Amino acid sequence: MLEARGLCKSFSGKPALDHFSFKVQRGEIYGLLGHNGAGKSTALGIILGMVTPNAGDVTIGGVSVRKDRAHALAKTGAIFEAPAFYDYLSGWNNLRILMSYSGGFDAAAARTIVERVGLTQRIHSKVRTYSHGMRQRLALAQALLPEPEVLLLDEPTDGLDPAGIKWFRDFILQLRRERGMTVLFNSHLLAEVELMCDRVAILRDGKRVFEGAVGGLHDEAPLFDVDFEPWDGVVPLLHTLGGALVAPGRISLPPAADPAALVELLVRSGIRVRKLAPVRRSLEDLYMDIHNGGTGDQRT
Amino acid sequence: MLFFQQLRGELHKLYARPRSWMGYGAFLIMEALILFVYKLDGSQRHMRGLMERNGLEFGTYYSSLTITLTIMLISMFLLGSIFFALVAGDIVAKESEDGNLRMVFARPVSRLRLLLVKYAAVSIYTLSFTFFVGISSYVMAVLALGRDGGLFVMAAHMKVIAAYPDWWEGASRLLVAAAGLGVSMLTLSSLAFMFSCFKIKPAAATIMTLTFLFVDLVLQGFPFFKPYESYFITWRMSAWVFFLEHHRSWPKLFKAYTFLIGLDVALFTAGWAAFRARDFKT
Repeated sequence: MLEARGLCKSFSGKPALDHFSFKVQRGEIYGLLGHNGAGKSTALGIILGMVTPNAGDVTIGGVSVRKDRAHALAKTGAIFEAPAFYDYLSGWNNLRILMSYSGGFDAAAARTIVERVGLTQRIHSKVRTYSHGMRQRLALAQALLPEPEVLLLDEPTDGLDPAGIKWFRDFILQLRRERGMTVLFNSHLLAEVELMCDRVAILRDGKRVFEGAVGGLHDEAPLFDVDFEPWDGVVPLLHTLGGALVAPGRISLPPAADPAALVELLVRSGIRVRKLAPVRRSLEDLYMDIHNGGTGDQRT
Repeated sequence: MLFFQQLRGELHKLYARPRSWMGYGAFLIMEALILFVYKLDGSQRHMRGLMERNGLEFGTYYSSLTITLTIMLISMFLLGSIFFALVAGDIVAKESEDGNLRMVFARPVSRLRLLLVKYAAVSIYTLSFTFFVGISSYVMAVLALGRDGGLFVMAAHMKVIAAYPDWWEGASRLLVAAAGLGVSMLTLSSLAFMFSCFKIKPAAATIMTLTFLFVDLVLQGFPFFKPYESYFITWRMSAWVFFLEHHRSWPKLFKAYTFLIGLDVALFTAGWAAFRARDFKT
């Protein structure tokens, strides 16, 4: 549904994106992670045609953004961190003006969306009187009004309180369930990304350094924190089961291996098992590992 | 029509901002001040002398039409230009600075279309403001001096001196000239609009426009530039007074306005080229 191929972009000779490619399937929520300046916003800018890439292209629903931006963005909605509305106008007039650039304003559809995002009571108030949470709800309304098939979210939950973040997350997940919406989610909040996204890509210095399924983080990490006594003879026994000592006090086992079999083997060999605890690997662990120069694989 | 819906939105934004109304307020105050001074003996003596030296009767030409023209002649260029530069200089640059443009660019609208809508809004503002100044000046002058009287035209720098004793002829000439003034002022707005399309602060667009205008005006005033005065933009912009000549020279008017409209198109195109090449990023 959304595909970027070989995106390159430099600003004043400094590369911001370096051959960045990704593909988001219909109905998928794809997370884009990276430090400030990693290239996430540049990628989003290129997707929306706000930034012209030096090389590469983006297609939305098979339509090239560079060749036919208007057609490509016809079914796309976007929300930015701290969305900049016309503060001196009401929320309703903001929607009216923004929708005039998306094929026209439909008052009935707008009323439905406004009600859905919970802004009915304040929609005719000036935006300058809105809280940050209300602005984000208005941002959601303006993004959803063109009935998008692709939703681009750039740090949408920054500055929201925990209740606001949860409301936003539940709303997006509900939209995906109801409409099969495709979502590109750019955020610093790793826990949010982990809760919402199916797959993530991690950018560092404009390059993609990781791409993988969020669910797979748990499935593919049969790591254990251990404490044995004595340690002599442990490693050969681990090898018999296909496992390995990956760090002091941490072992890995093949996905199919039964930890109970290891315990039995160790005890029979006269080794006392003081601790054998599975390591739950979070997206944060992965992210920090990659940004500390690792590959995302904690075995190394 | 989607274009008109978009234009309506642009005009809504434009007129919802207090700075768009500043010019209206400033002109009303200035018109009241000019009328007050015109009622003073010293001013009347000066005007009487001016008219009588041209063989005209003071009682006929010291009128609301003459005062309206005088206000438009003197004030639009100096004061009006500030407000046009302010509004047109803001129209793109301010939205770019505030981040509003990103919200618009998330929509399936081309940059050219967006600029056309904004330029149309600026043009409407410029023309309507010019007519507002003309109409409000006239209404205030009528309140102060009454409706009757002819029109005395004296634009020495453009070598135009004319007199229309009949109210109707004077008023119709003034109306046509006001339209010409509006089109002339559009060049100023186009200049500010072009600067606004570049990656600069809104205030910088306004200042650069006014600097350009005043440098042009100052250079035009130098004696050794006199033979080349018709090459100056401000001279071309003053062509609206040719509508007030007794014998209107249509080729001269056509030449002047073709130049101005051509310049407007060139300025818009330059602005669009700059705007088109820009990256908009957080």
